[in-house]
Amino acid sequence: MRRCAVLVVCFCLLLGLVATTGSVAAAKTKLVWQVHWSDFQVEGVYKGEGADRKLVSKGLRQYVEEYMKLHPEVEVEIQSVPMEEYLQKVLVARSSGVAPDIYGIYSLWGVQLVQNGILDAPPAAVVKDVHENYTPVSVTGATIDGKIWGIPMEVGNYCLVYNKDLLKKKGFTAPPKTWKELVDMASKLTVRDKSGVITQYGFAFLAGWESAVVHPYLGLLWDVGGEFLSPDFKKCVVNSAEGVQALEAELQLFKTGGTDPAGSVWTFPQEKVAMMIMASWYEQSLRQGLGDKYDKVVGVAPVPYIRKPVNAGYTWFLAVDSASKQKKAAWDLLTWLTAEVQKPKNTTRLGDLMVETIGSLPCRGIDLANHPDTLNDLYTKTFVEQLKNAKPEPNVAQGAEIKTILANEIVEAWHGRKSAKQALDDATNKIDEILAEFY
Amino acid sequence: MSPGPTHARRRSVKRTLTGYLFLSPALVFYLVFLVVPIAMSLYISFRDWNMLVPMTGSRFVGLKNYTYLLTRDELFVIAVKNTIIYATGTVFVGMALALGIAILLLRVRGATFWRFVMFAPVVTPSVAVARIWGGLYRPAEGLANAILRMVHLPPQQWLADPNICLYSIILIAVWAGIGATVIVFTAGLKGIPEVYYDAAKLDGAGPWGEFRHITVPMLRPTILFLSVTGLIGAWQAFDLIFMLAVGGTEAGTSPVRSVIVLALYLYQMAFKNLRMGRACAGAFLLFLIVLGISFLVLRVLRKGGVESYE
Repeated sequence: MRRCAVLVVCFCLLLGLVATTGSVAAAKTKLVWQVHWSDFQVEGVYKGEGADRKLVSKGLRQYVEEYMKLHPEVEVEIQSVPMEEYLQKVLVARSSGVAPDIYGIYSLWGVQLVQNGILDAPPAAVVKDVHENYTPVSVTGATIDGKIWGIPMEVGNYCLVYNKDLLKKKGFTAPPKTWKELVDMASKLTVRDKSGVITQYGFAFLAGWESAVVHPYLGLLWDVGGEFLSPDFKKCVVNSAEGVQALEAELQLFKTGGTDPAGSVWTFPQEKVAMMIMASWYEQSLRQGLGDKYDKVVGVAPVPYIRKPVNAGYTWFLAVDSASKQKKAAWDLLTWLTAEVQKPKNTTRLGDLMVETIGSLPCRGIDLANHPDTLNDLYTKTFVEQLKNAKPEPNVAQGAEIKTILANEIVEAWHGRKSAKQALDDATNKIDEILAEFY
Repeated sequence: MSPGPTHARRRSVKRTLTGYLFLSPALVFYLVFLVVPIAMSLYISFRDWNMLVPMTGSRFVGLKNYTYLLTRDELFVIAVKNTIIYATGTVFVGMALALGIAILLLRVRGATFWRFVMFAPVVTPSVAVARIWGGLYRPAEGLANAILRMVHLPPQQWLADPNICLYSIILIAVWAGIGATVIVFTAGLKGIPEVYYDAAKLDGAGPWGEFRHITVPMLRPTILFLSVTGLIGAWQAFDLIFMLAVGGTEAGTSPVRSVIVLALYLYQMAFKNLRMGRACAGAFLLFLIVLGISFLVLRVLRKGGVESYE
């Protein structure tokens, strides 16, 4: 009987202990953060093996752990999702009631997320901070219907990336400055085998990736003074004379033999492409692909222009889910990461993460100014300089669908299956139909 | 006293209930994972739902999604056309080749080894298949153009030329799936009694006569099975085309309009364009098309020993 009583008491104590532990755990504020970054960007960059393994560049995990040490009541879980599946994951997670608290949102998705009440309106202090301290192109990217909906995290723009070696071999000492020069040089840099197949592209696009089709075109469109959509988003105006001129300028590359639709920007590291218009985030892939030859081969210049230099820009911004039960904690974490200035570097933690590990351009002014070593390097320097000429793609409802339509029609023109005017007329008709649904 | 009719009925009911009780796990599985999703899809196909809000907050639009797809969406029509070409090419060309190979393998030494070789692509992941063929199809340094050059034919832009890129992908799909078809045909061929061929030889039939009047009729159940399962699979084709032609930053060079098939169209409509209503309507149209084709194949092949499939 006595043994039985002891057992019951022990069981009750154990139960109590479990319950207490559970309640402590429950008392913690748990935040789920969904990112589109790869493994090393989340876990950090290490060098060496075994006992010699050393962290050389902090990933998001290390920053989050630092925050959790400072705020033991907060627990942060990082969910890493490939970019191509990011939006799907958001949709599925929301449908099943397990939405993350913090997102990194591509600005093109932002309109629908805002219009459907998915995003939480940032606190006034965050909005003020964004207006005062971030680069204009990134502020525009995080602005939807005239209101800031998050903290700009990453800004992307485009430059001409060229192979210095291949240009030199053909006697070119400098990259092209104007589009006409680009067309001339591309045809001279293109090498064909006996059967006429291009073995070295003077210039390469990429038909299967929408951003690689639409962003260079938008840059040219804005360069010649055209517009994609009317200011009120009620009409697509890409089939204007300027729009046709911009697409005709691209088609010149095909007509003069400087490229063909089989070209791919991904073959640049194999030194099969002399010139391409590429985004700022491609640096790490080039370094890995070219290895020791990187410094000798890679050159970066502003995108060649027709009338005035313009390049397309895009933004990713940090946002909080409106259904989150921990909105304040989420914004506190984001504010700590993005606005707290670290001395003596005068940079923010997010800025360091973006520049040192992610390999993207940060959006905050001081982060752009105070990472001289990394942002002034061979690749990134020109991208930073060209931010002043960057124009963000419009934040319009059904942005992804509209972008796909424009990309498909441009590719039809590349293949010569439609004239520039016909392709843009067809794109305009389809896009107008979508705009009429939402505006 | 013998048991009356009531007792017999009770026993019959009890037996039926017992049967259903044993079947219940499978029935529940089908109900949860098949019937309910199909019913939900049908319901969504009549609504304008973007998945960002609860389904209850979506708008009822009647047949609008269906009429849009059938009358106004050029890309849907292109996707249907491409899918018909893809399905016909992969299934019927694949079957014709597989039957030829299966007949040859019955007559050669080391047939097991060759069957293993033929079957290897079937168990190779689509990603690997896409990678390998992506390399073979490279215009400048790919093996496909090297072969063409050897026989003095002009090289092709296999995946970039809008006129041939879909056929290039069909070729890969046939290569990747032919092993399984060969195995099934081999089993079918081995099931044909030799006595028919002996009798035909006595009657003076040649190899073509034997093939036409014995092999093909006797293989009708096999052909029916392969046609129906092959067509159902081909109409749902997605992975190979997605990896070779479109899809993310590792994308290829194919013009999307030339290679888009229905499953890819539905995926883009649902998860990229956030138009789940339209995607579900498209899925139902796909279901009706597959159902219609399956019935057609059953009808065409119903004579000659396959009546039991009806």
